[in-house]
Amino acid sequence: MSDHLSTAQQPIVGAEHARVEGIAKITGDAIYTGDMLVPGMLHAKVKKSPHARARIVSIDTTKAAALPGVHAVLTGHDLDYRVGLYIVDKDILAKDSVRHFGEAVAAVAAESVDTAARAVELIEVEYEVLTPVLDPREAIKDDAPLVHPDMGDYQFVEAAFTPQPGTNVANLTRMRKGDLEAGFEEAEWIIEREYTNPSVQHVPMETHVAIVEWKVGDQVTIWTSAQSPFTVRNLFCAAMRLPHNQVRVVVPHVGGGFGGKAGIHLEPLLACLSKVAGGRPVRMQATREEEFSLLPCRSALTYRIKTGVRSDGRITAQHMTMLWDAGAYADYAVNVTRASSYSAGGPYDIPNAWVDAYTLYTNKPFGTAYRGFGHVEFFWGLERHMELIAEAIDMDPLEFRRLNLLRPGSTTLSGELITEHTGNPRKCLDAAAAAINYGRLTPDEEEHQARTGRRIGKGMATLHKAPAMPSFTASASVIKMNSDGSVVINMALMEIGQGCNTAIAQIAAERLRFPIEKVKVAVEKDTDKEPYDWQTVASKGLILSGNATILACDNLLENAYGVASQVLRTIPADLDHDGEKIFVKHRPEAFVTFAQLSIGYVFPNGNGIGGPLIGVGRYIASGLTNLDKETGQGLPALDWTYGAHGVIVDVDPETGEFEVLEIASAYDVGKVINPAIVRGQSLGGMIQGLGTALCEGYIYDEQGRLLNPSFTDNKIPTAKDIPNKITSMVIETPQLDGPYGGRGVGEHPMISVAPAIGNAIQNATGAELLHMPIRAEDVWRAMKDLEPIDNWITKTPIGSCRSEKLGAHLPLQDESLIPAPAEGELVSH
Amino acid sequence: MTSAFAYHAPKSRTELLDLLADYGETGKVLAGGTDLMADLRNGFARPAHLLNIKSVDTFDTMSWTDAGLVIRPGVTINDLLRDERARSTYPILMACGRYLASHQIRNRATVIGNVVNASPCADMSPALLCLGAHAVISSASGRREIPFTEFFTGVKRTVLQPDEILEEIIVPPDLGGARASYRKLKRIRGHDLGIVGVAAMSKDGALRLGISSCAPTPLLVAGLSTDDDAESIVAAAHEAISPITDVRCSREYRSHMVGVYVRRALQEVA
Amino acid sequence: MQVSVNVNGMAYQRDVEEHWTLLRFLRDSIGLTGTKEGCNAGECGACTVDLDGQTVNSCMVLAVEVDGRQIRTIEGEADHGELSVIQAAFARQHAVQCGFCTGGMIMSVRDLLRRTPRPTVEEIKEGIEGNFCRCTGYEQIIEAVLDASDQLDTVGKGELKYV
Repeated sequence: MSDHLSTAQQPIVGAEHARVEGIAKITGDAIYTGDMLVPGMLHAKVKKSPHARARIVSIDTTKAAALPGVHAVLTGHDLDYRVGLYIVDKDILAKDSVRHFGEAVAAVAAESVDTAARAVELIEVEYEVLTPVLDPREAIKDDAPLVHPDMGDYQFVEAAFTPQPGTNVANLTRMRKGDLEAGFEEAEWIIEREYTNPSVQHVPMETHVAIVEWKVGDQVTIWTSAQSPFTVRNLFCAAMRLPHNQVRVVVPHVGGGFGGKAGIHLEPLLACLSKVAGGRPVRMQATREEEFSLLPCRSALTYRIKTGVRSDGRITAQHMTMLWDAGAYADYAVNVTRASSYSAGGPYDIPNAWVDAYTLYTNKPFGTAYRGFGHVEFFWGLERHMELIAEAIDMDPLEFRRLNLLRPGSTTLSGELITEHTGNPRKCLDAAAAAINYGRLTPDEEEHQARTGRRIGKGMATLHKAPAMPSFTASASVIKMNSDGSVVINMALMEIGQGCNTAIAQIAAERLRFPIEKVKVAVEKDTDKEPYDWQTVASKGLILSGNATILACDNLLENAYGVASQVLRTIPADLDHDGEKIFVKHRPEAFVTFAQLSIGYVFPNGNGIGGPLIGVGRYIASGLTNLDKETGQGLPALDWTYGAHGVIVDVDPETGEFEVLEIASAYDVGKVINPAIVRGQSLGGMIQGLGTALCEGYIYDEQGRLLNPSFTDNKIPTAKDIPNKITSMVIETPQLDGPYGGRGVGEHPMISVAPAIGNAIQNATGAELLHMPIRAEDVWRAMKDLEPIDNWITKTPIGSCRSEKLGAHLPLQDESLIPAPAEGELVSH
Repeated sequence: MTSAFAYHAPKSRTELLDLLADYGETGKVLAGGTDLMADLRNGFARPAHLLNIKSVDTFDTMSWTDAGLVIRPGVTINDLLRDERARSTYPILMACGRYLASHQIRNRATVIGNVVNASPCADMSPALLCLGAHAVISSASGRREIPFTEFFTGVKRTVLQPDEILEEIIVPPDLGGARASYRKLKRIRGHDLGIVGVAAMSKDGALRLGISSCAPTPLLVAGLSTDDDAESIVAAAHEAISPITDVRCSREYRSHMVGVYVRRALQEVA
Repeated sequence: MQVSVNVNGMAYQRDVEEHWTLLRFLRDSIGLTGTKEGCNAGECGACTVDLDGQTVNSCMVLAVEVDGRQIRTIEGEADHGELSVIQAAFARQHAVQCGFCTGGMIMSVRDLLRRTPRPTVEEIKEGIEGNFCRCTGYEQIIEAVLDASDQLDTVGKGELKYV
């Protein structure tokens, strides 16, 4: 698939083309799910649990149902469907017990949002409040309360996961490479630390929204803001026991996803409401607060890394234990666990390695996919750890990294052989280091320190990631010619801002040798019309859909050449084409235009041949394997994208306040399809990584209530927060099976931003930071060797800026304004 | 969810005060709405009546009198920031105002609303405390004037009775031209609530500190001199505050930052 | 309650409920959905519109408050099918990814350039501080504003570097 560009024409792949759907977006014309009006549409609202763990004693919906304008009221016991991506563990509405703060216990569909909200207020729920299990370190203990006592009854994907009934372990992935004991024997230094990251919210600007109608005869249409139309359909049909051809999923423009919209979310509930409401379409858009706790987040992670090193700097052994906090449902967290396991060595050659990665159920909002899929999380600790090792053995951290990097001939933790085609982590690291003048201060920086009293530090971090996907992940693309010779491409890879429609249009134009203006990628995806794609996740879209599109273009041309050869009375091998026509190579004046061929060629006497031109391309990942359940050995990686960040910070030594002055990043992308879009992914990912590094994270009280479910106390970076200088660099080591040599880079810029900053802060101040994010106070505490603050499950949840009358500190949801009841106490509201 | 209420847009002061006399207990005054709209949506506020104070004639004006600068209820933060004379006379109003939220919010949020809301982290309160500003409080039954040091009674609580409004803020002329600085600890560089705020102002050797987010109310530390030993000034500030630990930061760090900010402010205004 | 407003040069008269926000009014009553709801709390700026010459978060304004006033939304930005200077710069500089913040962002940029025709990078950052963008990392938006204010040649822009 990695056909290189012909030099004969101006290349389209590699050139900066305007975003194909850009104009609709900058004019306000682009229609998102929340903008749609479906005739007869009702509006839904849900009643949410104010408790993290409780038994539902009773729910009284009588008053809500009696409210004029209410068409449907549902509680958990009305619904006999369970949903789940890898482990089928979630009731559509909580049944008998609630497992996290913000979980839906009842739902209403009414003629207006206001009526639905009033009806929800009228629903009375009596809870028996139970002590929640919040910390994965507690959840793993033998005597921990069980989040899912019925785990043994759940269906799950047996090829990949290992739920352990009778415990809170939803999955355990093990990696066993080499001889760990011998590796530690050989080591002269052993460095061990524990790291943590809290849960984090994706914060797409568009919150989750869907409209669903369930008509008589079980004909269901789902309009939704989702990354993966076919996954929504598959999971929906599995849960509802419906045939796929009766369920249609339609996705218009999507206002950001970042993994949070990868799976299935509001759709099943709205479908059930619609069914009860006689088939009226039912719409619900999550409020920003609901986005934080009704909908999923990124899992928290607590992990321990123990590394053996020789005095010459070579790593001899590494044992990593990870406790992934799934929250109340397994969703993607079990697969995050799996992906983080085979990747946990980073781009380093570690001869002897063990990973024990647990996915643990807790009573918190559940974790799902989030850009980087496990890697943003474990790379924090891994790359901080590398820094601490280098410090311990008194070696320059950059030299230490260089020495241990993967190189051709190395093997990954799961036993995959690295070749010179895999990508070049060394070039990434060196480019990022050079861009920030790593290892020294420039005269300007010396002067800055002297003038401001702040200390400048520089830090590096590496990253890598392969798509976390089934070994048999597949995608298809269909290209259809219009009667003027232009084409439309149908595929189910979703444009969620990452620029895939533009990249695919460029690849098709390049392959067809058509001007890009003749190529359209359909914006709205519809499972009744688009061919299958697994999901829009994992940075796998470019390779899978790109290759499928190349095959579709070839197929279209083959079909066109076939008809043209009849028209021109020659064989296809003697034909060539340009953007307008197919002609005889040695007699260019003998030609037929694509327009003439597009819907069937017509001879002067009226005879027609050929019929409408279409091309079909089907692509499936090949050569990948399942991982051995005992050793983790196998081939999970479609491709590896390597990268590195270099960061310059200045730190106020008195307060711990710091600024990220510069970030320079380099990625081995194989081949740039569109430089402006690659740069956009690089910049945007990096700033999302900056947010995760500096200020984002869920804070709970000891009852498991989320204290910061809004932008008031969960800040994300603004334009003022970006570094003054950001450099984006690429290396192009072609991916042999990638389209024109390309590989994905959608997630990677977000990975390892945090440890690069942490390393720079350590370089400036000596502060040993082990917990992410890094707030000014954290740096101050680390500099002073004070205990870290007791976030992210806090004993002191008192707010400074909320009225005492209104419950002091509590989140912006009326249900949560009730004081914490004692264990076992019955409460109703 | 926003609940239904009756909306009133009184044109005159008398009309407003009469409405307040009737609906003060069950109603809410709407000025810029940047706090109230959020409270309405979250169900924190469920008024039966909403009284739009901005519709009252002349309420969107500032004026300069012998008593000083008079700020009325419709004056937004950006109105104040745009005013040349206010800028040059009271640099501290500018120093605090420009850190208040975002441009869009500053276009709506009023100076009086920021104060009346009585959040411990309000940005304008430290400035007004430093300036020795007065609050003119009106109701249908009369008008009273108190210094801002007596205005706040607790977290989100003031001396205002249900039938009263804060009709005017009067900033006296005596501290015009005072040197000023404002430091605000935030979680991000972009718009954020203050975690610690220290305003400092000096004129003719007299030093005043306004501190936010470190006690149930914004507070004033006055009676200081720029000639005082820096550590004694820091001690006075520490004496005045009673910070707490919350989701934004710890009590210890708040206390530490007050010390740092006071020392740094001294270097600017002394 | 009846409200008369002028939106993008067109007069509208509508009955609205007292508690409706301007955002809800624009979207649900007038049908202009280019103005987006991102938080409904005045934090994110996705609902930014121009009200009598000043930008506001339309989620923080009641519809009844805008009786008799002039509003401009993203739908009023292009003129007879021609992109505005700002829109064209956004397209050229790849200042758009998912597009959900873009309408509000452009309204803020328009207001900024009206107040400050040639803003510095710092002034641009301050001008769009109230508009969250989760996709772009803001850099290409800043470059679009420099482009729209004819400063790209002097200030320069970042490029993807091939190593």
